[in-house]
Amino acid sequence: MAVVDAQPLPGPEDPEAALAAVVALRRMAGRLESAAVVEAISQGWTWAQVGEALGISAQAAHKKFASEVRARRGR
Amino acid sequence: MGLVNAVRDMRTIKQLLTRAEAEARSAGEQTPGPEHLLLAATALPEGTATRALQRIGVDPQQLRTAIEEAHERALAAVGIEVERGDAGEGALRSPAAGAFRSTPQAQQVFREAVALSKSTRPSVLKGAHVVAAATGLEHGTAARALVALGVDRSRLREAACAEAGIG
Repeated sequence: MAVVDAQPLPGPEDPEAALAAVVALRRMAGRLESAAVVEAISQGWTWAQVGEALGISAQAAHKKFASEVRARRGR
Repeated sequence: MGLVNAVRDMRTIKQLLTRAEAEARSAGEQTPGPEHLLLAATALPEGTATRALQRIGVDPQQLRTAIEEAHERALAAVGIEVERGDAGEGALRSPAAGAFRSTPQAQQVFREAVALSKSTRPSVLKGAHVVAAATGLEHGTAARALVALGVDRSRLREAACAEAGIG
């Protein structure tokens, strides 16, 4: 993934393109979030630290990602 | 509905929803949308969804690629270039937990597919019902993937209805 250059965002005159970009960005953010949390935990971060970095509680971070961390560790 | 058909329906629904969930998670997404339901329909062993698509010259693999490309194009529009990684990169590896959840649009497509299946005899749910229902979508990833494939939604609906045995 690379940000090629600062292209203007799709303007409001093209909501179809703008909303599609939002969907794709959310999807990309979700993938990045999972990968980053798994990596953080494997580097020894606590759930409190992960939560703090993401702006959510430690409990919420654990609830959302603990099973994914376990699943990827098992590989 | 007879007992045999009811059991068959339950099996189809379970296959469909489980597969849709797996499709979403393999794409790194928690919640299945209509595009995942469509892909799941093409994986049903009865084959009507795949045949409906093939009637208008689309292969399920092309649909899968078109969905991925729809996201890539949307990202390119905001200056993000994504290299297509290995299959499975970014996938969620943990099993889905809790009750089945999907987007409101996937729920709508599923409900409409079930309603369509009630209009056929025998009234068993088929993949083609899902395809027909999904052609009602005007926006979103599934709709954009179909547009990119050059699919005319009303033609696909006709093909799906023919495969499903609807009038």
